[in-house]
Amino acid sequence: MANLLEQLLNALALAGLLFLVSAGLSLVFGILRVVNFAHGVFYMLGAYLGFTTVALSGWFWPALVVVPPVVGVLGALLESSTLRFIYRRPPIYQLLLTFGLALILEESIRVLYGPTAKGVEPPPLLQGAIDLGGVLYPRYRLFLVVLGCTVGVAVWLFLSRTRAGLVIRAVAQNSEMADCLGADVARVRTLVFGAACALAGLGGVAAAPMTTAYLGMGINVIVDAFVVVVIGGLGSIGGSMAGSLIVGAAQTWGAFYLPETAMVIMYAVMGAILVFRPWGLFGEEE
Amino acid sequence: MIPSRLSALAALVALAVVPWVLARHQLSLLTDLLIAGLFAMSLDLIMGYTGMVSFGHAAYFGLGAYASALVLLHFAQPVPVALLAGALLAGAVAVPVGWFSTRATGIYFAMLTLAFAQFLYTVAYKWRDLTGGSDGIAGVPKTPLFWGGPSLASSRAFYFLVAACVVLSLFVCRAVVRSPFGRALQAIRENERRFTSLGRDPRPFKLVVFVIAAVFAGLAGALFAPFRGFASPEVMFWVFSGQGLMMVIMGGIGTLVGPVLGAMLFILIQEVLSSYTEHWMIFTGVVFVLIVIFLPGGLVGTARRLGARG
Repeated sequence: MANLLEQLLNALALAGLLFLVSAGLSLVFGILRVVNFAHGVFYMLGAYLGFTTVALSGWFWPALVVVPPVVGVLGALLESSTLRFIYRRPPIYQLLLTFGLALILEESIRVLYGPTAKGVEPPPLLQGAIDLGGVLYPRYRLFLVVLGCTVGVAVWLFLSRTRAGLVIRAVAQNSEMADCLGADVARVRTLVFGAACALAGLGGVAAAPMTTAYLGMGINVIVDAFVVVVIGGLGSIGGSMAGSLIVGAAQTWGAFYLPETAMVIMYAVMGAILVFRPWGLFGEEE
Repeated sequence: MIPSRLSALAALVALAVVPWVLARHQLSLLTDLLIAGLFAMSLDLIMGYTGMVSFGHAAYFGLGAYASALVLLHFAQPVPVALLAGALLAGAVAVPVGWFSTRATGIYFAMLTLAFAQFLYTVAYKWRDLTGGSDGIAGVPKTPLFWGGPSLASSRAFYFLVAACVVLSLFVCRAVVRSPFGRALQAIRENERRFTSLGRDPRPFKLVVFVIAAVFAGLAGALFAPFRGFASPEVMFWVFSGQGLMMVIMGGIGTLVGPVLGAMLFILIQEVLSSYTEHWMIFTGVVFVLIVIFLPGGLVGTARRLGARG
């Protein structure tokens, strides 16, 4: 029983991180119709910048606040200087463009930080374990669960309850019509891209104390995030949540019961879902 | 523009003559270029002619390389047996992957193929007993063409083997895309919904072409292993899949010959950049971005446009 609780929390903590990344990926696809291959690199950038901020300030909390906007601004700049010009082309061109951006960013990080992984200390408040009715559980992972839930609810409220969210949903549904009705589509795209990158950056900062900041963390997370959005359906925040939970659970229990084949479980689940819903649980047929 | 038959003939003559013109290291670079060209060409079958963007094509190259390396190392068979093994293994694995992936279209297809490829990469990385893990398999021998037959150990002999494979594959692929089957693929690319409404199911076509493309990618990988003398997980990595897409775009999507030229140009750019800086990946990325924005038709597409204009 105690074990079950621990596994459940592990799955939720992983799902929280996955959600931070896949929500942005899904949002960008919904609004820009672009699969952002560089999304994982923004996550990695977040982790490395988090390391730098912690090293400079000696505290963890400022990193959580400062890094996401920085990553977001960088993302918005990249969108408006490159992607903006090729929205009318077939999707392969946008995918390749973001692939090029991913190469540039990943290699730049290697140049700046060197090949060794950088560890980040969690803040004192979140160090050690907490007693949950007889189960000792790392505080930091509990924090990830809370963070994932908070951001999930915040994104959902923003999209469904605010005027800006309304415009974004309008652009997602029919960008030409939204344009005719006076929405500044180009600006919406840039801002959404930036916001998605900021979310990925936040995910990176949050992940750093658990996984360290290392080269290759970007591709690892983007492949998982792809599986999440394939399961949940692209362009749907609810789908990202459901997908994150499913992948988080599959990886956690897979790693626990069948350590050598944890990856296989994830793909088996994905395959099973795709047989019945080729466009994901919450996705719409194109 | 030069008539295409004439340029094809010129290319064949050039391929036959260069081994006596080039120095040894140049010849081995050219062999490398041709192997990459075969890989890019196989990708063009699904990407250019059927409109399915696979982001996991390196996996089949890698499967071919591993199968070939294992056959050469453990069973000491002639090279063609290893080539056959590589092509068959890649094709066999492509059947289940293609069956799942072709259920989805567009960007979902790209993500699924990437996910499966990363899965295969992980298997190659973790299955140390068979694949040697991250070290890969080294010391793959260049066995003769057949027992008692001509040796392939010299760089010139192996070059001819590779060139012959690439030219033959080019003809086979050309025949495929010009056959009724190939026409059907292009119909799917142009308008899948209309294809369906004409009473045909596109999925079997997509699955078959996916497997054919994997077979040729496997062949390229099977040539790579004895040529370089090793097979390692890097050749299955996502970066290589992305580079394959880039080779196709650089050369000209949907032209078969274009991707071969694109692959050659791509590797040459890499060679040049990497001789100047250790961090050539940054510049490769910049070249990608510039080409995608400014030269969407690639080499062949741009040449044709200029030819049509002049």
